[in-house]
Parts: sequence; C-alpha cells; structure tokens
Amino acid sequence: MITWKRWDLPRNEGTRLHQFGDMRICIAVDMAGDGDILAALPIYPDRPTETRKKPRIPANLALPSLSDRAWTRFYMGSRGDYEIVPAYPPIPTCVRLKDPFSLPPGSTLEGWIFSRIEACIRVGDTSVVSYPLTRPAKTLYGPPDAGVVCRYDEAEFLATAEPIVSSLHADPRFVAHPVRLKNVSATPVVVSDLCIYGEQLSIFGVESMLQSEKLLFAFSSSGVRMSLDGQAPLPRGARTVAKPSVSGEERFIERSFELFKTITRI
Amino acid sequence: MDPSTVAAETAARTEATPFSSRLGEIIPKNAIFDSLFTVDAAIKAARVALAFVLGLILVGLVITVLKRLIKKRTDPRTGGLVIKVAQYLGFAFIIISTLEAADVNLSALLGAAGIAGIAIGFAAQTSVSNFISGFFIVSEKTFTHGDVINVDGKTGLVYSIDAMSVKLRTFDNQLIRIPNETLIKSNVSNITRFPVRRLNMDILVTYDTDVERARAILMDVAAEDPNALRNPEPVFMMTGFKDSGIGLFFGVWFATAEWFDGNNDMYIAVKKRFDAEGIEFAYPTMTVLPRPALPVPNASPARGKNRS
Repeated sequence: MITWKRWDLPRNEGTRLHQFGDMRICIAVDMAGDGDILAALPIYPDRPTETRKKPRIPANLALPSLSDRAWTRFYMGSRGDYEIVPAYPPIPTCVRLKDPFSLPPGSTLEGWIFSRIEACIRVGDTSVVSYPLTRPAKTLYGPPDAGVVCRYDEAEFLATAEPIVSSLHADPRFVAHPVRLKNVSATPVVVSDLCIYGEQLSIFGVESMLQSEKLLFAFSSSGVRMSLDGQAPLPRGARTVAKPSVSGEERFIERSFELFKTITRI
Repeated sequence: MDPSTVAAETAARTEATPFSSRLGEIIPKNAIFDSLFTVDAAIKAARVALAFVLGLILVGLVITVLKRLIKKRTDPRTGGLVIKVAQYLGFAFIIISTLEAADVNLSALLGAAGIAGIAIGFAAQTSVSNFISGFFIVSEKTFTHGDVINVDGKTGLVYSIDAMSVKLRTFDNQLIRIPNETLIKSNVSNITRFPVRRLNMDILVTYDTDVERARAILMDVAAEDPNALRNPEPVFMMTGFKDSGIGLFFGVWFATAEWFDGNNDMYIAVKKRFDAEGIEFAYPTMTVLPRPALPVPNASPARGKNRS
C-alpha cells in the first residue's frame, strides 16, 4: 500500500523501508554537524530469468554503507520531515499498446491507457530524487534518425468513454490517462505506441486512484500530436497531488513529431 | 588728380563690377581653387557624401536585421560567419556607389581590380578555398557546434566553426585545427548527430559453445541494462566459423548520450555472465597433435651394400 504523505525523519529507527509493490525505497539519516543528511536508495527485485519466471525480492537486504555512492544524499538543515509524492518520469513515456489496432480515417475513439509513475522524495519545495516504481527501461519513439528516447511502458487500451472501474485504476503504481484518438488523415492508421509528455500533465488523486487530464492524440499526414483535451470527470474527492513541471504557456503548446509514416505505418 | 576724385572713381568701379570678378582679382586665374570651388564640384562633393552616408545607413540597417534573423534561426558561430560576409559585401557596395557618385570611371577601376584580383587570387588561393568551403560546410549542416565528429581518424568535440577552419577539442583536451578545404575533401563521421547509437560487440566463443544459449544470455544481459533500448531491439548475428572459434555479433542500442556508459556496462556484464554460465571466450590457439614415432629403418644392410 502506497501512502503519498509527509514523513518524519527516521532518526531513531535505523533505515526506513517504503514498500512500493515489488520495489522499496530505503530512507536513512546521517548526522552532519548542526543538521541532518537524508539518504535515499531504491531497491528493485531481480528480473525474471529463464529459470525464474517471477521477480524475486532478496530475503535479507544487505544495504551499502551510507557513504556509498549508491545512496542519494541531501542536506536537510533544520528540517525534520520529507514527503513522498507521485511524479511523472523526467523523460517522455512511450506506452506500447499490448494490442495495436487500426483507426479508420476521420474517426474518433475515446478510451483509457495507464502509465507507470515514479516516487518523488521532496524536502520542502525541493525535489530531492525521483525513482521509478519498477526497474526502468528505455525505448525509442520514432525512427533512429529523428526519434525521442522515452521511458518504456506497456498497457492495454480500454476503449470506453465512461469513467473506468478497472483494477488498474486502484493500483497506486499507475496513473490513468483518459485519451481521445482522432484520425484526421485520409487513410487508416495503426495505433501501436502513444507518447506521453508527463511534464505537461497534473496528477489528480483520491487515496490510491490517480488520474491525469484528458489527452488528445491527433493523427494527421504531418505527424502525431499530443495535446491536452480538457478535464475528464475525476473520482469524487480527488485533489491535485502533482502539478505540471512546465509553465502554463508551454503546457498548451502541442508537441508534434514528423513521425507519422513510421509510427502509424501508413 | 585730386585724391578724393580717385577714391570716388575706385568706389564707383567696385560697385559696378560683380563679386565673381572681384574674387578673380583676389585669386589668380590659373590657381587650383578655380577648378575646385565650382558649383558642379560642390554638387558632386555633396553627392559623394550623401552616397557614402546613405550607404553606411543602409548597410547598417541590413546587418542589424540580419543579426536579429540569424540570432533566432542559426547558432552563433554560423551567424558570425554570415555577418562577416555581409559586412564585407556591404563595404564593397558603399565603395562602389561612392565612386560612382564621384563620376569615377568604374570600368577602368574594375579592370584594374580584376587584374589585382587575379594576382591576389593566386596568392590567396588556399585562404579563398577555405573561406568558400566554410560556406558549404555551414550550408550542408553536417555538424554543428558541440557535435562529436571524426575526421580522418581524429575525433573530437566541435569547438568552433570559423571562416577558415573548424577547431576540434579532443577527449584528451587538445585543440585540433582542420582547414575547411580539408573537411570538404574528407570523410566526416558525425557521432552524435542522431538521438540513438548502436553498440557493436564482436564476440568470439569456443567451438563447444551452445550458440542458442549464448544468444539467450546476451539478450538477457541487454534486457538487464536500464539504459539499453527496448526498441530498436538488440541485434544478434553469427558472423561465421573463425580460425579460433565461433564469431558472434551483438548490437545494442543506446541513447547517444548514454552510449559511453552503456559500452562499459555491457562489456562488463557480458564477461560476468559468460563466466558465470561457463561460456568460454575463444582466443587464438594452436592445436599440436603428437605424431607417433616412425619406425627407424635398419641401416646396416645398406651400409654393408655400400661397402661391397
């Protein structure tokens, strides 16, 4: 169970472990003169291999010493608390659809996709470090000469305009994106990858259900464009837990790529 | 004659003669000023001054507009080169228009300039070639400031693109000046142009290796690396049966900025995994097979034969 909240420094309890599904974030305190140093370290389960199909969490954690480079260290000064909040990855996320589909010319389809968020450790207004909640992987969105390197993610496309009741929506490691796909070209397009710029988006949440603004993906002969498509209905009692990291003006600038032919395979 | 009468006559004569005639009396007829201080000369001088001042203003305006345009659209180094050329052209324009205003015969001057140009051209052949090559380099956009390029085996970061040369800063912190003419003639590899780059690993394993297993291990190592890209997928290829073992090729894609770290991580990980999985790297070996000793023929009959 993930609780996005403020925590006191673990001054008298050794290393604190925050469990996020299969991964853990270790938080420890190191004394430094008048203030304290917060030290953070992510621990990911081993990847499944040929012989072991499920990820394995080490039974006994052998943590490196606090002076090891694996720890991210941050001088707290007189502050005695930190916050763990959900955040989008610093690079765009390319969501590969498990079941690609063809979108006829001139048609519009509404639905939902999910992407993995990160856990961001904040001290006051400063973001100390942000860790993916699964071992991160990267991919290229677009051709090798003009693409964008993104965080790799996989998801199913739920083709419904209604608010979702999927179990994924209650999985705190995922944020739900209401999307509208629009094919304004004269030929069918194959929708297989969707690139999301988290820096433009907010996260609205109630308990463990997280959701972003509605996204519009417009497929035209000049490329694929992601833009904000207004606000979708939010769960009752949802509040803003993360704001866009870019300014309001930048937020509404449509990101376009000349990747149409490659991505949509027209 | 009465002196008062003489003065009166002189005054009357002075009043009757025009100013120009009086000036003529002051300045001798054959003086140089006679030809200089004419109305035509004054008009010509005004035209020359006007042409010069207007030319300066016009060229200044054009260069100001050009600077603003370039600031938005090109990098500072390229912009500087274009501005420099615009300034040279502008000054040439001012000189020509000023001389034209002064009614100087430009055809003779241009003829002389042509001859001088040929002479200077021969003398400054290399410089002019470098200068013109600089334009082709800028217009082709093969590389820009900050890219890592390789020119004839010399690799470095593009430090500056100037009118005559391109300067590279090598990774061991040396400055290399490459004339633009050389760059135009050479094969230039831009290593950081594209967002992703493939790491090519040539691996040689012994002949008793299970190649399918080696392939699975390599794919697993690539999947373990957080910087290795899922798409484009890693490439595996058998390159043939070599003298010492089986040749394998394994290509893994990385973001260009992470290629260096990816290179080290992948080689280390492959070595560790192969060692752990008992896969041996092949190295040049020579198999020596001892031949059984040949029977030594009995030499005594021959000896006896020789003796007989």
